[in-house]
Amino acid sequence: MAYGWFFDAKRCIECRACEVACKQWNQVETGVNVRYRKLHTIETGAYPQPRATALSLACNHCDNALCQKACPVKAIWRRDDGHVLIDRERCVSCRMCQKFCPYDAPQFNTRTRQMEKCTGCFDRVDQKLKPACATICPTNALQWGPWAEVAGKGADRVAGFKTPVTTRPRMRFVTTDWSTK
Amino acid sequence: MAISRRNWLQMTGAALGGAPLLQGFEDFFRPASPSASTAQTMTTACGVCAPECGIRATVQDGVLRFLEGLPGDASGGGALCGRGSGGAGLLYDPDRLKYPMKRTNPRKGLDQDPGWVRISWDEALDTIAAKFGGYIRQHGADSLLFLSRGSPEPWARFINAIGAINRVDHNDICFTTDSVVQRYATGGRSNSYDFENSKYLLLFGFEMLSKCKIVYAQGMIRAKDSGAKIVCFNPEHSTTARFSDEWYPIRPGSDLAVALAMINVIISENLHDREFVDNFTNFKDFESRIRTHFAQYTPEWAERLSDVPAAAITRIAREFATTRPACAPAYKKSLTANYANSGQLTHAITILNILAGTIDRPGGRYFPRRLTIQTMDQVYPPPAFPAKTGVRIDGRDKLPLVTREDHGMFSTLVDGMLNKHPGRIKGAFVNYYTVLGFPEPLKMIEALRSVEFTVVIDTLPTDTVTLADIALPSSTYLESTGLMSRAYEARKPQVVARQAVVPAMFESRSIGWVAIELGKRLAPDYFKTPTGAWISTSALLDEQTRRAGLGANFAEFRRIGIFDRDDRFVPRTTFATATGKCQIYIPEFEARGYPALPDWRPRRDEPSARYPYYYLTYLPPVHRRNSTQNNPIAHEIMPSNAAVIHPMLAERHKIRHGQMVRVSSRVGSIELPAHLTERIRPDCVMVAHGFGHRSRLMRLASGKGARDGDLIPGWSVEEMLAHGDFAGSGCIMDAVVNIEPV
Repeated sequence: MAYGWFFDAKRCIECRACEVACKQWNQVETGVNVRYRKLHTIETGAYPQPRATALSLACNHCDNALCQKACPVKAIWRRDDGHVLIDRERCVSCRMCQKFCPYDAPQFNTRTRQMEKCTGCFDRVDQKLKPACATICPTNALQWGPWAEVAGKGADRVAGFKTPVTTRPRMRFVTTDWSTK
Repeated sequence: MAISRRNWLQMTGAALGGAPLLQGFEDFFRPASPSASTAQTMTTACGVCAPECGIRATVQDGVLRFLEGLPGDASGGGALCGRGSGGAGLLYDPDRLKYPMKRTNPRKGLDQDPGWVRISWDEALDTIAAKFGGYIRQHGADSLLFLSRGSPEPWARFINAIGAINRVDHNDICFTTDSVVQRYATGGRSNSYDFENSKYLLLFGFEMLSKCKIVYAQGMIRAKDSGAKIVCFNPEHSTTARFSDEWYPIRPGSDLAVALAMINVIISENLHDREFVDNFTNFKDFESRIRTHFAQYTPEWAERLSDVPAAAITRIAREFATTRPACAPAYKKSLTANYANSGQLTHAITILNILAGTIDRPGGRYFPRRLTIQTMDQVYPPPAFPAKTGVRIDGRDKLPLVTREDHGMFSTLVDGMLNKHPGRIKGAFVNYYTVLGFPEPLKMIEALRSVEFTVVIDTLPTDTVTLADIALPSSTYLESTGLMSRAYEARKPQVVARQAVVPAMFESRSIGWVAIELGKRLAPDYFKTPTGAWISTSALLDEQTRRAGLGANFAEFRRIGIFDRDDRFVPRTTFATATGKCQIYIPEFEARGYPALPDWRPRRDEPSARYPYYYLTYLPPVHRRNSTQNNPIAHEIMPSNAAVIHPMLAERHKIRHGQMVRVSSRVGSIELPAHLTERIRPDCVMVAHGFGHRSRLMRLASGKGARDGDLIPGWSVEEMLAHGDFAGSGCIMDAVVNIEPV
């Protein structure tokens, strides 16, 4: 079974718990330029009518993962349940995956000099747990579930998110605001 | 499968082994292999901020692996914020204070190496007892300063037992104004808001989404889900503003004008909740005085002061009064401590809530329904405490309403220590506060340097620790025990067990234990049980658990972890004021020469030719005030602060985004990079609080960012009185500044 994420910007309070929980569970080193999940604030408009929205992004474990296609040594592979993963024993740090991924998911660890990225918390999924980010979110802005359920839940694109036409990311967005329910 | 289980383990091990996280912890923290078989989950409670959200902690081979929300917990709603989920970064911070230490370098200052030498707990406690005992005998107990909260209970008992009058806490820069007002207006301060059932929320600088009080965020989001309207007044287009239906970039310090005008609209048009106001308030007793008083505050007048259009003030006042239930929260540092007129503002906002009829009603501010945990004094009644006499160093005794609340005043402490009573304080004990929390931290450093003997207990080697003669390592909340009786989301009683998820690291101890050990040495009669044995924190906790009906002892309750009682919420019909009613008109204020009704008065500092801009501070979401800057994950997300300004202001001063600027006020200046955004009034400069640590022993935080407090003037009690600030606001946003490129 494949899984996907689902983000509702209007519920996000930008608390960064998704980022923190990701680093904590996955024991991602700090200070080496690697953050699997990042919270972005997108500001538009001008004073006195500025607008802002939030976007929590990590690897979208795309159906058509460009990182996987770009990897010359086949270090990027896909589990049966759709998780796209990097095999660090094969990775030669050529950074091609970084160049081709539109979402900044593969990141270069400046200490180990290897590529790393969001694992989808597959070790938690194997224990029937949700990924750390979706587990921690205090407002249910970031949710996660079987792709069959998530896929129909919202739009496949939102401002600040690169076009999904080629990549087919496992990510959906709520684009309605409070007034439109 | 190309990532084998073995690879995964190696990968994780490598990540842990190479991380700076481990320096100094080789003997204590062995990286765990994440095998599900050894993982266990435990119930505990967060200690980052006051709602103390329930936690489910995953511990593997004795190492804390993950923190997440506790299902069923009222405070966190089964989740945690970014600050809470990063708690392991504090627990395993390699820079933690590990052992008691004494200084060998007599010269004190941020630039001085204290020359720490490790000592035993016995030596530390004996030295402190000898020094403090000597000061009490020679100079009186008022020669001791306790920079500390009034908790935990053994600590409060210790301070009471030695008769020390000078316990000074931070509440003037937090919520003293609200305590003072609520005591007389509604019968007591509460942190509980039923946002979920509210239909209209009126936010005067209420920044609880932006600073991640998730108990409030969840309530407000549920309110939005059911169609509530939110109106927000804030000079900054904050996260809270983003959630609001209407945002007004109000002139800083003018919220009072808008609130007064709204009261005027509501009562002149008789839009208030008649049933509540007639039956449960003193409106009728003072009706003509109330009507006459507020008639002067027209929306047009308020517009001139606040930049909020008069038509909007009128419309919002009408909507607020007629959309029921409605609520205007007044919460702590986000509002009640900001300006010299914050006492009046808190009173005005409280009147709005009274007129809306939502004090202790669904959709409003209510009094928490708590399970009563017996106090230490109830479990082990003490002999009579000695009278507290002598000089109150922060001058709080000049403010009778504040003294009644037993809150301290950070903003006047320096004036007391350096100007009014120099040399009076001989010994100081600092419990967790850092100098960064004070207005003008550099002056507070001077004040601490003037003290002969200073003890600091903390988890981290903060700037304040740098000034200590003896430094004591405090255990963290993740190494502590306790009963958390809910006081935020508390429509019905709930208790969560806080338990140590790992044993206390190194030689760290709790402040409760330190209090008892010092008590044994300095006031032994107060630290014995009725049978004559020494009081212990664990026996006290067992007895409190038993008497609350939570279990035979704490060990039994913590296995369950959470207690709920399904009481029905019955709204109060009498209130804990002298008249049993909510008091719009407060006779007790009048009796002391203060206005019985909130009147307009300006902020303390107004923009001038030299300092033309308003200074704002804020609390960013990923940090807890000044206590998390050394947490590796929080540090990585936000390592430093900036001067947040509008591009128009930047252009006027030829400032580019990212360029270093100097921001100066009448008391100091700071240098930091500029951050340009459309989301702020063009006449404001905004700086995040919590940065500017200088202690070199906090290796991540040290030297990063600027101290926001360097620009915030402290003041004297006399100035406070002259300004009519009866409720003692610390005025942490009441500064004006200039900005220039460096």
